[in-house]
Amino acid sequence: MQAETSQKHVALARESLDRFNLGLRLMAGAFILFMLVSLFYLYVAVGNSWSAVANALLDNRILGALWISVSSAFIVGALAITLAIPTAYVLTYNNFKGKQLMETLLIEFPQTFPPATVGLVYLLMLGPGSPINIAYTYPAVIIAKLYVSAPFALSFVLRRFREIHRSGLDVIAESLGGRTRHILLWVLLPLSTIDLVGGFSLTWARAMGEVAATLIFAGAISWKTEIFPAVVYLTSQSAPEVALAASLIAAMLSIAALTLFKWVAGRR
Amino acid sequence: MISELRVENLSKSYGKTKALDKVSLTVSPSEFLVVMGPSGCGKTTLLLTILGVLRADEGHVYLDGEDIDDLRISQRNLGYAPQDFGLFPHLTTYDNVAFGLRAKGFGRSEIDSRVKARLSLVGLEGLEQRKPSELSGGQKQRVALARALAIDPCLLLLDEPLSNVDEVTKADVKANLKETIKRAGVTTICVMHDPEDALELGDRIAVMHSGAIIQVATPKDLVENPQGEIVRRLLHHLLRT
Repeated sequence: MQAETSQKHVALARESLDRFNLGLRLMAGAFILFMLVSLFYLYVAVGNSWSAVANALLDNRILGALWISVSSAFIVGALAITLAIPTAYVLTYNNFKGKQLMETLLIEFPQTFPPATVGLVYLLMLGPGSPINIAYTYPAVIIAKLYVSAPFALSFVLRRFREIHRSGLDVIAESLGGRTRHILLWVLLPLSTIDLVGGFSLTWARAMGEVAATLIFAGAISWKTEIFPAVVYLTSQSAPEVALAASLIAAMLSIAALTLFKWVAGRR
Repeated sequence: MISELRVENLSKSYGKTKALDKVSLTVSPSEFLVVMGPSGCGKTTLLLTILGVLRADEGHVYLDGEDIDDLRISQRNLGYAPQDFGLFPHLTTYDNVAFGLRAKGFGRSEIDSRVKARLSLVGLEGLEQRKPSELSGGQKQRVALARALAIDPCLLLLDEPLSNVDEVTKADVKANLKETIKRAGVTTICVMHDPEDALELGDRIAVMHSGAIIQVATPKDLVENPQGEIVRRLLHHLLRT
């Protein structure tokens, strides 16, 4: 009798566990669908008007946007990593008042601050009314994208430097006579290669997707400041095939960059 | 260079916990001193304070009579091998041992001869091109030792050198460690929790408890005249046999 009751309990528990498991799967499925449906729809939309999109791919405006977007994202990625290394070093090895707030302002805040506001601030600070006016130029594209994207590079490099610091390898290097340059060049950087690649890739991808800050501060001048997302935004009504072509290229480039990063990371 | 270490009234607290409580001791040139005590007794804090990673609240560390409290870690010329050996995972055995010599700016041929001499001292010839992931626990320990000795340190600091070595090879590693340090003739402070290992390795043993040193003696004296209940309890199973 007792054995029967306990068997019943086990069966009931298993059933409720399975229901719970099913619930988790359903919720996960809904979220995955939500995240992938737009990408899939892009594919469908392009498929319906493939010849128009194929022609648009060679459109002069698209080629200009391709050049500005890709080149500026590369420059932003390289600048972000170059600046993230000394900043991460300083934040790892120095304790000062307000360090926590400083990190928030450098990493989390730029990711949550509305990019349109970033563009507006730069337009006021470095625009037509200020002594230094670089609005609507290529450097303006770089600056707007750098502010929005660099936190990715900094958070990657900082996290890794702190991990190495906790492992004590830097203390060993120092005990062997290593100075700052030896610790940075011979220990921290070689042990952070994957994180540098990761930080660069995500910064690059974010810079490729950034639009609002760039559009406000740098405008959308073909072959000068016009980037992919700006083309999509400005042509979505008047020339949807051009907008689709730009979206397709942007999506493919982002997926390729992130896949490359994951492949490199997997080789560690 | 073989130096004498003197630690005078070293105190260090973490909040209300006293990690070091007026610790004083002297280690003679070429002596192998084992600092023994249970986990949390303050022995690693003592080691890290001598190394310069931690700064004592009070007291001083003297190397050959010179106060080294204000020297940076890199200026102290101390060899250090931590519990997990701390080998640079991206470097080969050769490059690990050569690290300090390169940082100190030695020439290529000097580095080569010193690295080879140290690897031969610890019996690791032929493994120069292996990465740490391709070495056993005992081999890693020997690389860490060779690397610390390569810079001709004034003092060698070892933190639980046997804790990451498997039981099968422990006896060999212990013998090799003792032999290598004797041949190098370097003044050594080694932190350990196992009384049996401590008695086997040390010329003298400093027993630590709750941040204080409660007895310093040769292994023979320690076993024959343990002072106080705590030392007796630590050596309990050794005293019975």
